[in-house]
Order: sequence, then C-alpha cells, then structure tokens
Amino acid sequence: MKFKLVFTLLIAFLFLCSPLLVSAQRKVTIRVLMPLGGGYTKEAQMKLAQEFMKAYPQVEVKMEFVGWAELWDKIISSIASGSPPDVIYIGSRWIPALADMDAIIPLDKYITPEKYAMYPESVWNTVRYKGHIWGVVRAMSTKCLIYNAKILEKYGVTKIPETWDELLEAVKKCYHPEEGIYGFLIAGAKFVSTVSQFQNWLYANGGLIVDPKTGKALINNTAGVEALEFYAKLAKYAEPNPIQWRREDLIQLFKAGKAAFYVDHVFNLIKAIKAGIDADAAPIPRGPHAKQPTACVLITDSIAIPKLSKHKDWAWKFIAFMTDLEHQTEFDLALGFIPPMKAERKLLFFQRWWYRPYIYMIKYGVPEAAGIKDWEAVQDVICTAIQKVLLGQATAKEALDEAAAKINEIQGIKG
Amino acid sequence: MGLMKEGGLKPYLLILPLAFVLAFITYSMAETIYLSFFEVSYLNPFYKKFVGLGNYLWLFTHPSPTRPYILDWLTRSLIWVASSVSVKVLIGLGGALILNEEFKGRGIFRALTVAPWAIPWAMAAMMWAWVYNNQYGILDSILMHIDKYTGLFKALGIKLPLAFIGLPLPSFISCLIADIWAGVPFMTMVFLAGLQAIPQELYDAAMIDGASSFQKFRHVTLPQLSPIIMVASLFSIVWTFNSFDFIWILTQGGPLHATETLPIAIYNVAFRWLRVGGLGKGAALSVIQIAIVSTVIYFYMKLLRRG
Repeated sequence: MKFKLVFTLLIAFLFLCSPLLVSAQRKVTIRVLMPLGGGYTKEAQMKLAQEFMKAYPQVEVKMEFVGWAELWDKIISSIASGSPPDVIYIGSRWIPALADMDAIIPLDKYITPEKYAMYPESVWNTVRYKGHIWGVVRAMSTKCLIYNAKILEKYGVTKIPETWDELLEAVKKCYHPEEGIYGFLIAGAKFVSTVSQFQNWLYANGGLIVDPKTGKALINNTAGVEALEFYAKLAKYAEPNPIQWRREDLIQLFKAGKAAFYVDHVFNLIKAIKAGIDADAAPIPRGPHAKQPTACVLITDSIAIPKLSKHKDWAWKFIAFMTDLEHQTEFDLALGFIPPMKAERKLLFFQRWWYRPYIYMIKYGVPEAAGIKDWEAVQDVICTAIQKVLLGQATAKEALDEAAAKINEIQGIKG
Repeated sequence: MGLMKEGGLKPYLLILPLAFVLAFITYSMAETIYLSFFEVSYLNPFYKKFVGLGNYLWLFTHPSPTRPYILDWLTRSLIWVASSVSVKVLIGLGGALILNEEFKGRGIFRALTVAPWAIPWAMAAMMWAWVYNNQYGILDSILMHIDKYTGLFKALGIKLPLAFIGLPLPSFISCLIADIWAGVPFMTMVFLAGLQAIPQELYDAAMIDGASSFQKFRHVTLPQLSPIIMVASLFSIVWTFNSFDFIWILTQGGPLHATETLPIAIYNVAFRWLRVGGLGKGAALSVIQIAIVSTVIYFYMKLLRRG
C-alpha cells in the first residue's frame, strides 16, 4: 500500500514537472541570412553564431548563406514565402523598399542611447527612413580620390586637387594615351557602381538624387547637371570607351600604372600599393556649388529584422551581439572595412596612413539611397542618363530631365 | 479495355513521370496567367488586387522616349532569335559536314566542338567579358597586332581598340556572338548524328547519276537532314528566346537598353522594379512571351508534319 502511494506520488510529480523539463530542453531557433563573397567567409560567420550559442545556450542559431549577387532575390523570395529568416543582412539602399512593403520592422525601440552614441550621425542616416531606424550598420565604405604619385610627378602636377577645376587641369596634364597613360578612370557600364561613382561628384557639388523629405527628384537641378557634365569631361581624358568598364574592374588599369587618378574604396588603394604603385588617396574634390569641403557616397550594409520573424527579441539580441564593439571590431579588422563605430577609429590598425582620408570622409558621407523608394529602378534610370551623356546622345540637362521625370514616376510623385 | 489487357498498368506507370512534368508546367502557366490579371506585391504575399487587363495595358502604354518599351523588347527579341538561330544552323551544318569527313585528328575536333558545353554558361559569359575587354581582351589585342603589321584598320579609318560591349549596336552583336558560340555545339552534334544516318546508297546512286558535290548536298543531304534541322531549330528557337545568362553577365541589358530582350525585361519588371513593376506586370510580360513562343512552335510543328 505504502509502495503504491509512493509510486503514484512519484508519477504525479514527474507528470507535473514534465512541461518544465520539456520547456527547459526546447531551444529557440533563430535563422540568420548572411552573404558570402566580398571577403565574407562562412567560417567567420559560423564562429560568431557559435559564440552567441555559447553565451545563450537556450538559443540555436541556424546560419543560411547566399552569394552576394543572389542576396536580394533570396530576401524577397523568403519574405514572399511567409517564412523569412529572423535576421537578414541587407544593403542599406534596400531599406526604403523593404520598409514601404512592410517587410522589415523599425528598430528604434531596441536601440539604446548608448548604442546610438557609438556611431556617427552620418552612419545612422544610411539606415534612417521616414524618421525611423531600420537596421544596424555592419559594413561601411567611403570613397576617395586615389592617385598615382609617380605619374603626377612625371607630368608636373604638384598640388593634389581640391576643386573640380584643379582636378580637370591635373587630369589633362596626365592624359597621354600614346604612352598608355590616362588622366582618369571612369566607370560607365550598366551596373550599380557606375551610379555610385557619379553620386560622388553629385554630392561633392551639393546635389542629391531626391529630396529625402518629399522624395521628389532633385537630380536635374544645377548641381546635378554640373556633376554629370563634369563626369563627361573627365571621361574625355579617361580610358577609351568607359561604358565597357565597371568600377570594380578599374583597379586592373590603375594597378598596371595606366592612370593618374580615379575614385575607389580603401581595399583597392591597398591593392595598388601592394602592386608597387606609389599610390595615395585624398578627399574627393568639391564642385562649384559645394557647401562642404568634400563629400562622397556613404555605402553601408546593415542587419535588419523581417516583420514576419517569430523571434524578434532574440533576433535583436543576436544583432546586438554581432555589432557590439568587440565583434564589430573583429569583423572590420578581418575585412579591412572602414569602421562604422567611433571607438574603432582609435585602434592602431585604422591609424595607418591609407585609412586616414577614408575615415575623414565619414562625416562628409551622404547616404546612397536616402529617400529613394525603389533603388533598383532608380539606379537603372540614372545609369541610362549617364550612358546617354557618355555616348553623346544627350546633353546632361536633357538626360537628367528625362531621368527626373522617371524617378518621380517611380517615387509616385505626379507632375 | 484491350490496352489494359495488353500492357496492364505498365504503360500508365511509364507515363507517370511525364504526367508530373505536364502537371507542373500546366500549374506554372495557369498561375502565371492568373497573376497577370493582378497587381501583386512581391514582398507582401497578402496583397493582391484584381486589375483585369491593367497590366497588359501598362506594358503597351508605359512611356519611353520614343514608343512603349514592349515594342522595343519584342523587336529586339525577334531580331535576336532570328539572327542567332540562323547563324547557329549555318555554322552547325557546316561544322557537321566537315566533321563527317574522314581526316586526321577528327576525333579531337569532335571533342573540341562540344567543349563550350562543358563550361558553365555563367563562367563562359565571364570569359567572353574578358575576351571583349578593350584593354586586356584578346580580341582587341589580335586586331591591334593585325593593324600594326598591315595597317588595315588605319586605312579603313577604324580606331582601335574597339568597344565591343561599350556601344549599343556592337554590344548587341557581341552578346549575339557569345550566344551563338554556346549554341553551335548542339547544332553540330545533332546534324552530325543526322548525317551519319543518311544511307550511303543514296550518295552512291547520285554519284552514278553524275551528281556534283553541290548537287549531292542539295538533292540528298539537305532533304534527308531537313527533319532534323527543323527539330533542332525548334529547340534552338525556344532556348534562344529564353537566353538570359550571356546578356545579363555581359551587359545587364545595356548600354542604353540595346541588349534588353524579353527575358531581361521580365526579370527587371518582375523582380527589380518593385514600385513601377511587380509580379503581376512581370507575369503579363511572361504570358506574351509564352504566346509568341507557342505560336512559333505551332507553325513549326505544322511545317514539320507537312514533311
């Protein structure tokens, strides 16, 4: 009888405890979508996931990888299927489109004042849309004017250009196609980087693609027209047929000592130095309408949370973990990216001379797609305008007027 | 009943995989046609608004500086298919005739003919991008060497290096050449198999009648090979119409839309232009492409049946 009672109590106890045991064993699983390529290795990202799981044993992180070129398609197809990952890596230029489609959530409530203070305002501006913050910046790049000091010396350019007139003068001096030397390198292929190359000159002249508040096209104002005219002027002293060239491939020409100047990010400056070129970088020269000493396009990638994520709080914890000072620094040091956090800049690594001009450009950086609701479509329109001018099929004013009308149509602005 | 008795369930089991394929194709096509009547947001699966023929109307009224885009896309696609397929047939036929002859090293040449098929198309397109590069590309290098020793291009007033993928018309031709390069091996191999199946007696009889080489080709080879040419061309038309990889990797449809064929346009409208485009409009464009390809197939099949 006594045995029966003890046995019954034991069974009852186990029965009552079982939900607790089960819930203790059941782990929360979060899915994280990350890109591969461009320096992003699977191993480094897996390591991060493992560290997170070690810190939070109740969470299992499932990393999903996709090539950079397929990232956009993967994001939208997973959202459309109704089961997106909990954390997604995005190009910050996609934020307006994703936010307008109600595909990602604003992160304002998660970002503490301490976290906010870790980044400069220009960096937050790249992930801000309609007054909200939609992502945390993970990777960042600024652009500078890279030059070959030996070519400049050979052709008597003694001052590093600070204005467009000075640059054009220097470029003309260095243009010697008969010797295989070009004054400048221009990108004109139908590709996103052609647009970002032009944006550097647009911003350096105080222009913008659209008004970030109203979304109305501004690209055809005086600053924009002058910028495109200047881009076409530079093309006259550049490699033949720039429409064949993407910015990503121009380094091949620069590394071979074939050009005096071009605009690119820090990795390619380092590549040129490693190839034995006496290369250095300077801020992008300002245009006649500039209100600042310089400007460049500030391109960032960020981490966001899809609206359909089932574990938003854990997704945020993972984002906070991967973008804390320690892990962000580790990432930037490994990949050599321009550090988005203020504290990182103090590190010796980023004090090297070739990083300095690029870090200086952060405060003058203008977001790639501020106020643009459909980046891919707008990018196509601007690229067509650039190509028309480079091919002599339209003046800068004509091409940009046409582009502005199409941008307004894309932005949903009538008239 | 008789069929059941003769073969039992076996024929039905054998046809089952085909039935699956057909069901899948029918479903995809029906879904595409259905979607073409809706405004669909790719990012919000719950948003679907019936617009009737609105998407089709948009395709034909969407402004471009000169005319609706779709007419440009259609014209370009038709020129693309007609020129690519005809050149593929001509080169394929010539190649097959050569490879059908006895000569030393024939085996090596036959193996080399299929080499383009061994390379993934995306990689092959990258390779062509470097071939066409006007600073490091082999093509411009060869032309510059020819010019250096002969002065040919200088005399013709042609400035080197040439911009193979830097100007609208040359870009179209350059993409076309890359596409032809990828399609010729199939043609050559199919035609070669066809040539080997022609009975030798027909050639012997023609020889006794005193036929010349051209007459043998005109009156024996071509009639015997024509069903194969028709079938191979039919396949090639469908594949070439859907050709995407080479154009996308070489030019992304540029410069100035010069290489924007229907598949490139469908991709842009459906997946890239989120606000001005969308899945519904992309589906409408796909329906138009399916209609065109189906019409071509119908007439081809009709022609094929006539013999």
